[in-house]
Formats: sequence, C-alpha cells, structure tokens
Amino acid sequence: MIAIKTKGLTKKYKDKIAVNGIDLNIKQGELFALLGVNGAGKTTTIKMLSGLIMPTSGEIIIEDMDMKKDVFKIKEILNVSPQETAIAPNLTVKENLEFMAGVYQIKNKESKINELIKQFKLEEVLNKKAKTLSGGWQRKVSIAISLINDPKILFLDEPTLGLDVIARKELWKIIEKLKGEKTIILTTHYMEEAESLSDRIGIMASGNIIDIGTAEELIKKTKTKNFEDAFVEIATGGNL
Amino acid sequence: MRMINFAKRNFKELIRDPISIIFEIVLPIFLLFIFQQFNIPAENYKLENFTPSIILFGFSFITLFSATLIAKDRTSSFLIRLGTSPMKSSDFILGYILSLLPIVLIQNLLFFLTAIILGLKPTITMIPTILISIIISIFFISIGILIGSLVGEKATGGLGSIIVQLVCFTSGMYFPKESVGGVFAIICKILPFEACLNIIQSFLHNDFSNLSIIHLLVFISYFVTIILITIVVFKKRMISDNK
Repeated sequence: MIAIKTKGLTKKYKDKIAVNGIDLNIKQGELFALLGVNGAGKTTTIKMLSGLIMPTSGEIIIEDMDMKKDVFKIKEILNVSPQETAIAPNLTVKENLEFMAGVYQIKNKESKINELIKQFKLEEVLNKKAKTLSGGWQRKVSIAISLINDPKILFLDEPTLGLDVIARKELWKIIEKLKGEKTIILTTHYMEEAESLSDRIGIMASGNIIDIGTAEELIKKTKTKNFEDAFVEIATGGNL
Repeated sequence: MRMINFAKRNFKELIRDPISIIFEIVLPIFLLFIFQQFNIPAENYKLENFTPSIILFGFSFITLFSATLIAKDRTSSFLIRLGTSPMKSSDFILGYILSLLPIVLIQNLLFFLTAIILGLKPTITMIPTILISIIISIFFISIGILIGSLVGEKATGGLGSIIVQLVCFTSGMYFPKESVGGVFAIICKILPFEACLNIIQSFLHNDFSNLSIIHLLVFISYFVTIILITIVVFKKRMISDNK
C-alpha cells in the first residue's frame, strides 16, 4: 500500500524552480532517504509533503488523503523532526513532551509520554530545561517529541547533523527500531547514514529526482565501488 | 484546546525569563516608588495619575518581550514543528495573547498594591481600571506580535525600545504635552499612547469628563488596525518563513 504519492509536485519562487514536477511513490513502512547537494530541493520537498507550504502545482496524496483538501487531517497523522532542534528552550523535557501531547490532543497522554521516556531513555534529563541539554540530547528529545502523536508518517530532516559519532549511532538504533512501523522520509548529507538505514534512496539535483533505488542498485548502476561514489556520479552526472 | 495549551507554554517561557520579569514588573514598581520619594509638585506625579502611567509603562515592556518571544520562536525551528501540526493561525495568535494576560493582571495587582502602600486610597474603581487595562494591553501585545513577526530577535530589542520611549514621552506620563506644545502636542494627539493613558486615568478617577471622543476614536482606530495588520502579517510571515 502506498503511503505517499506525488504527481508533478512543483514549487516555484518567482524565477526559481525549487522542486520541478517530481513523482514519488513511497510504500507504507518504508524508510525512504532523500539525498542531494545543498539547494537540490530536499527540504522544500519535505516542507510540501508535511503541509508546511503548499505546492505551486502538482498533487500530494498521503494515506489516501489529498493535501489540498485534507491538510489538517493529514497533519494529525504525520510529524516532523526539523533540521535544527525544535524544542521549547525554557521548558523541561517532560514539559516539552506534555506541550506537544497537548498540540496533538493525545488522549492517553501520560502513558504515551512514559512510553517515549522509556524508549528514548530520557529519565535522567526529564526535569532539565531543554536549553541546558547537550546537542545530542536535544536532538534525541526533538525526535522523541516527533513521535508523540504516533505518526504514520515521520519526516526526519538531517536528524544527526552536527552530532558526534556515538550520539549519531545511538540515533541510528532508534531510527532502525522505527523501521517498518512507520513510513519514514529521511534527508541526510551522510552517505553511510542513508546506506545503512534506508530501504530506498532518491537522489535530487536542481529540483528533480534524478535517480531512485536501493543503495546496492545505485552502486551497480553507476559501476562504482561504494555508495558515496555512486551518489557523486549520479548527483554530478559523472562530471566531477 | 490547542490555543490554551500553547498559551500555557508561552506563559512558562516568559515567566522563566528573569530579565522580562525585572522589566515588566520590578522596574515599573521601582519607578512608582522612587518618584513618590521626590514629592514633585506636578499633577502627573500624584499617585492617582502616576499609577495609571506606570501601568502603561509596564505594557510597553509587554510589547518588547512578546516581540522577542515570537521572533525567537520564528527564528528557531520551533514554529516549523508547530506549523506541521494541526494548529491553526488563530491558535497561534490567541495563544500568544492569552499567555500575556496573566502577566498583565499580575502587573496591575502589584502596581495597585504598591500604590496603596504608598498612599493611594483603595477604591472600587480599581476593578474597572484593571479590566480596561487588560483590553488596552491586548493592543500592546498585538504590537509585540507584529514586531516579532516582522523582524529577527536582535531587532526586536531596538523596536521594542522605541515603543517604550514613545510611551514615556508621548503619553504624558512624565510631563504634559502642553509644556512642550507645537508639533510635539500634535504628535502626542495622533499617537495612541496619550489616549491609552487618558482612558486608564478616567476609569481610575471614575471621571470621564476629560476623556475626549478624539482620544476614544484614536485608541479604537489603532486597536482595530493593529490587530488586523498583526493577523495578516503573522499569517504571511508564517508562510514566508518556511519558503
């Protein structure tokens, strides 16, 4: 079953085309990585798929709902962990979780919060203000918050950016556990992250999806030694 | 209610910032106290006139700190996260306004309490004065939302300070406009701060003979215009920030 379908998805800003008519089919429970160099259109695509901005043209169907007609219904079943850590700085970790549970009007609020505390091992930072936490903890809390509404679709925009190797591996474990349970769209600049976590990878350049496949398929197709080389080959059109 | 939930969060953010409490509450109380020690022989500094001035002065800091909160939320990814949630623009705007009203109420109660300790006679008119002050505070909060929607966190300090200065110099809290006269008096009449002070004073004195229709019209015009502009600008900025 298809969780996300786009047809001719386009976003234009005056003279610039940020996303140029992309067609996507992402299956339920799939972890789909969106890769591309800076300015390729990844974040704009995620913003359109998450209902933050509306496309200039094209269609977005999420879990059989049309983004144009059912944007608020769609927003109930998705969540986003943005590129920068998005938490309320003067609120404690527990208060952040409670606040977001209120935003999504979660009925079994306490049990959901306790479940996330356990899942992300947040006990030791629970009563600390978010702004006093390290970057790794803030990112962990930010991802925990994005699961508060038990979303069917989860957007992770560069979830491990700026984290040290241990914090990154820790987050990978968490993301791996979510695989299959949720449809995840991940953007990252780390090739090994995309390769190790995703079921399929879409490579974007100049607003277009120029290739899609598993990491192995893309390596095979480009006749390169590893995924990083395959990505460079595809993203640059072999002109590097 | 998402709006109440958001207001609770905003209130916690504001109340946990000691700088905002110092400027919104402690500084006005200090000014109220210190000016009474000088025994200045002018009408403006009599407790029944200066307490409403202090209320208005406190509101100018409400503008400053509401602008900072909104600009901070906008420039962090926090509003991106909330923008992908089912929250609507009305939840955001009303959530910001509601979060500041308890602070306005605390301000009013503490300012009146200090004034009573300093010698202001407690009267029943303090209750309608507090109520009208809350309505006037919505105007100041809206200016804060507008500034916070338009500029970044650093610039909110500068623009907020302009509002503080305008309140000080054009409301008539420190000196009557007639003492300067000319263009300055016209500016005071055109800007809404003198009207705001006049309304609060009239309610406290329970004497509306000095409240001119022009003051009422000036305040209502600014109030409605600023609220409408704030709604439009906030909505537009929420979208354009995420482009």
